[in-house]
Amino acid sequence: MSAVKSSSGAEDIIVIENLNKWYGNFHVLRDINLRVKKGERIVICGPSGSGKSTTIRCINRLEEFQEGSLVVDGVEMINDVKNIETIRKDVGMVFQHFNLFPHLTILENLTLGPIWVQKKPKAEAEATAMQYLERVKIPDQADKYPGQLSGGQQQRVAIARSLCMNPNIMLFDEPTSALDPEMIKEVLDVMVELAQEGMTMLCVTHEMGFAKKVADRVIFMDAGQIVEENEPNEFFNNPQNERTKLFLSQILNH
Amino acid sequence: MREFQPVPARPAPVKTVGPVAWARANLFSSIPNSMMTLFVMALFVYFIPPIVDWAFLSANWTGTTEDACVRDGACWVFVKAWSYQFFYGTYPEEEVWRINLMLGLLVLVIAASFTLPKHIRLKASVAAWLLLPLVGIAVLDGRLLGLNQVTTDLWGGFTLNVFMAAASIIVAFPFSFLWALGRRSEMPFIRSVSIIFIEFFRGVPVLSLFFMGSVMLPLFFAEGTNVDKLIRVWIVLIFFMSGYMAEVFRGGFQAVPSGQYEAADSIGLSYWQKILLIILPQVIKVSMPNILATFVMLFKNTTFLLIIGIPEVVQTLQTALSNSYWLGGHALEGYLFVFLVFWSSCFSMSLLARRIERQMNTDKRG
Ligand SMILES: Nc1ncnc2c1ncn2[C@@H]1O[C@H](COP(=O)(O)OP(=O)(O)O)[C@@H](O)[C@H]1O
Ligand SMILES: [Mg+2]
Repeated sequence: MSAVKSSSGAEDIIVIENLNKWYGNFHVLRDINLRVKKGERIVICGPSGSGKSTTIRCINRLEEFQEGSLVVDGVEMINDVKNIETIRKDVGMVFQHFNLFPHLTILENLTLGPIWVQKKPKAEAEATAMQYLERVKIPDQADKYPGQLSGGQQQRVAIARSLCMNPNIMLFDEPTSALDPEMIKEVLDVMVELAQEGMTMLCVTHEMGFAKKVADRVIFMDAGQIVEENEPNEFFNNPQNERTKLFLSQILNH
Repeated sequence: MREFQPVPARPAPVKTVGPVAWARANLFSSIPNSMMTLFVMALFVYFIPPIVDWAFLSANWTGTTEDACVRDGACWVFVKAWSYQFFYGTYPEEEVWRINLMLGLLVLVIAASFTLPKHIRLKASVAAWLLLPLVGIAVLDGRLLGLNQVTTDLWGGFTLNVFMAAASIIVAFPFSFLWALGRRSEMPFIRSVSIIFIEFFRGVPVLSLFFMGSVMLPLFFAEGTNVDKLIRVWIVLIFFMSGYMAEVFRGGFQAVPSGQYEAADSIGLSYWQKILLIILPQVIKVSMPNILATFVMLFKNTTFLLIIGIPEVVQTLQTALSNSYWLGGHALEGYLFVFLVFWSSCFSMSLLARRIERQMNTDKRG
């Protein structure tokens, strides 16, 4: 693991500089600076409302920002429609509430992007989709509708749906916090596997076991700022900031 | 270690309620309640027998002319003698199969929209619905298909109410979706135009719209063109309907969670792909009961067309009532008949709407 960790020389696939964002008068992100190397796995944690979701949603332009710069895979994020489309094809996202399309079958959920965005032939898109369904271990559910699946299964479908677009970067926004305890593991397993294959990942999560196992860096946010970032062992065993210590004691002691 | 043994499931206890227990619990639970029950029963006893007598026992069922109505009950002969006109207006009898064909197609398309296999249902039924008005005009008018032309002044009766309502809501459908979309737009110009349009057509009585359609609309057409009266009214109904349905769709839009938009964005769909492939199907689905309710309203409003002299069913009835061979005063029978026809069609649509709603609720849980 440590070999990958310090893969110095790898280019930065995400560069965020002095990013600031406001909702009206509310300064939600303040001077965010973050560089992510290709293949790096980053876990973002922090109290609710600290701006974790907003940060990663800026990366695929689900949110706009007012100041600073953000370059993803060499493409500068400006208000150009073409840029946004390029980025979105390159960045996959998994949401807390899965957000599968309820009126489409699992297979149709997976092939929609490849067919309509990447203009792939239907048969090819379906073949790829089946491969990914096998990877997340639910090929037998292909013809069901999302409402017929358990939460854990739905979240695995959501991951497969993103992977079908062949992204270079995957964003996860609390992918397991809406799941029953018995289903968390099946989703984390898929994510660990993905990490081991070298996907660049940014995960907002409070699953500390997952962070220790796969993260190259853990980032702690509070009040719209990055308070502390470190490699996982140091971060958990030797937090530098008082705020981080308080947060860790709260999530680890129950 | 002890093994976990689930207790086997048992059937729920049976609740036995006989008619006596039911009546005691619901009708005679207290003194005021019992008095109320007795009072309502007395009303029934007093009013029901004369009504039954008038409508059935001493009613006149056979014959073809006014003279056949000799008994003092209802003169159903009147309704029977005019039933063709009530249903088909003055449409020529040898061409009436065209109207029946269109009614059949309408029922077929409705059935198809609920029974086709799920994966092709939406696409196939949207296409069928949008084609239906065109096919309808071609068949009923006849010229396009090489049949004898039946000019629109001959169309009439209850089927005209049905066709006007159906043709209006179908064409209004895509427009109202656009208006609803415009109302949600972030562009101030589009948003205000949509709001003004929607609120105008929701805020103005449909009657005044009909007058506008028959008097003012011709001023907008190029001079010399004589646009058919029925088409003008159709245009008015389309505007009226799209204002109402835009609001129905707005509710539907609000029912689609924002996560659906975000997921569609995150896989890179364009704006129109997102709207048409992801949002529209869900909006239609949740709006279905309200669309039907709006349709029922429109359907009843088509009777106002009599004010501008279009021979829909009530207008036909008034013509029949003033016919010099039928001056025996059969307004009660005639209006009762119209009432029953409207009520039974609207009630079955309500039942359909409720069935859809129930189905939607179970879908959500499933
Ligand atoms: N659309 C919005 N409009 C206004 N405020 C928002 C909006 N979305 C989020 N916020 C606020 O921004 C802050 C950060 O939100 P978020 O990034 O979702 O936090 P986190 O994911 O860390 O819990 C919160 O205080 C939240 O209330
Ligand atoms: Mg969040």
